[in-house]
Amino acid sequence: MTSIDHFLKSKPPLWMRGDINYGDIIMSTRIRLARNLTGFRFPRAFSDEEALQIDKLVSSAIIDEENNLDVPFSYFSLHDMPALQRQVLVEKHLISPQLANKTKMGSILVSEDETISIMINEEDHIRIQCLQPGLQLDKAYHLADEMDRLLEEKLPYAFDDSFGYLTSCPTNTGTGLRASVMMHLPALTVTNQMGPLINTMARLGMVVRGIYGEGTEATGNYYQISNQITLGKPEEDIILDLQSVAEQIVQKEIGARRALLEHASIAVSDRLNRSLGVLQYARILSSEEAANCLSNVRLGIDLGLIPPIPDRVLNECMLIMQPGFLQQHAGTTLQANERDVYRASIIREQLQMNNTDSKQ
Amino acid sequence: MICENCKQRPATITVTQMKNGKKLTRHYCDVCNKQLDHFHLNLDSDEDPNAVQKLFSSWFGTPSWSVQAVPISNTQTKVQNDSCPQCGMTYRKFLEEGKFNCPTCYETFKEQLPQVLKRLHNGAIEHIGKVPGSINESYQMKRQIEALRQDMKSAVEEERFEDAASIRDQVREIEKKLQSGGEESDEH
Ligand SMILES: [Zn+2]
Ligand SMILES: [Zn+2]
Repeated sequence: MTSIDHFLKSKPPLWMRGDINYGDIIMSTRIRLARNLTGFRFPRAFSDEEALQIDKLVSSAIIDEENNLDVPFSYFSLHDMPALQRQVLVEKHLISPQLANKTKMGSILVSEDETISIMINEEDHIRIQCLQPGLQLDKAYHLADEMDRLLEEKLPYAFDDSFGYLTSCPTNTGTGLRASVMMHLPALTVTNQMGPLINTMARLGMVVRGIYGEGTEATGNYYQISNQITLGKPEEDIILDLQSVAEQIVQKEIGARRALLEHASIAVSDRLNRSLGVLQYARILSSEEAANCLSNVRLGIDLGLIPPIPDRVLNECMLIMQPGFLQQHAGTTLQANERDVYRASIIREQLQMNNTDSKQ
Repeated sequence: MICENCKQRPATITVTQMKNGKKLTRHYCDVCNKQLDHFHLNLDSDEDPNAVQKLFSSWFGTPSWSVQAVPISNTQTKVQNDSCPQCGMTYRKFLEEGKFNCPTCYETFKEQLPQVLKRLHNGAIEHIGKVPGSINESYQMKRQIEALRQDMKSAVEEERFEDAASIRDQVREIEKKLQSGGEESDEH
């Protein structure tokens, strides 16, 4: 079994490597399947005894040498895990904040390459999650489906002929499938097109949420678009609909970027390059300012207004600027103001390293 | 006739519902009819009228009908006290919390659930899609029977009686197979 340290490194995991299928606009794809075992109450109501049994059933079904999995899985109980490590796993999107707080009975199975994680005893008994870079809904679903098939062979799922997979929340009933794409939409945001777009999405049965931010406010112009409906629609259709919506949004974002360049080329270039300046020279950086500047720099590179910086470097900055990663990197607890100083120095370092790399 | 809900505007719409096997007829004005969406008509008479609004507002933002929705005090719907045998959940508690406590809750509240699911899933009340491998076979057979019954109905309507008879035989064949999975099959 791989040690937890492997999963706490700031090296961007496979699904954050970028450079694939609309990778400049669609950062990553996520598939989540909600499953429960028959005969047990859901985590919101179950006993410690039930929690323990479910934990054993699920983890031994996955950690089994006869599975012949391509990538090995590791098991970690949230119970023994220090708060900082739990936070790092949240910031890496390997577990949900909800699971991170369930230190009594929550645990996680994670594949060595960090593309698949299985949360045990979150809102449902089992949540299979698969992350992929760029727009790769089919591949992500296929991988999640493989784990699902492995589990269903060994465990009695709670399933009903007419309601489908039975979940704790009726918003997941049916397929239990939530498919999401994480998109970077700076041009649509700056041209005030996100509001109408979010309304249109709602009518199409899609939900748009800001990520890296509080609530619906998107920090750094990152949005997550997911299917709202899980019942009455087969998995293939849910995925296909999201795929086509995501592709259309990409086209809209490209159009908005083109318009920005045509109408305000020098103003845009000024704004984006100033953001690069902030990242290179600032001594105090809040996570919000850092996220917005990184978003601007990414846009500047995509538009050819800023010399290229590899996605790998920008993604690492996105990861490491988060509070958990920062403190883990510093090896000590940091107050908010101390974090802002440390964040500025780490990002400066990252960009300088890249600079000297490219000059050699 | 005056609207039963707001008791102000004239009733222009008649809503008929089946409730516990009894037919209920309601008269509403256009405005209330849109707001009610026939959903909370099925709530218990002493149900906290805000509960369902709370539930759905947390999922959808403030629902349009919460602005002037009036508690329905005169409905004669029977209080449903059924609780889930596995976890003790009541339907009222489910409406307040918006979550189930165990898989058996679905079976317990299966009469009331379609109207909740409809709202959440754009009108859908039935799962279409993946089925766990272990129950795949019997599920497929049930689906097949359903489809054949539809075919049979249209065959009868179009007076293709020979077709209908052969479809009926197919249905019986599958039903036999389904039952032989469990107990010995009885002849009808
Ligand atoms: Zn009225
Ligand atoms: Zn129950």
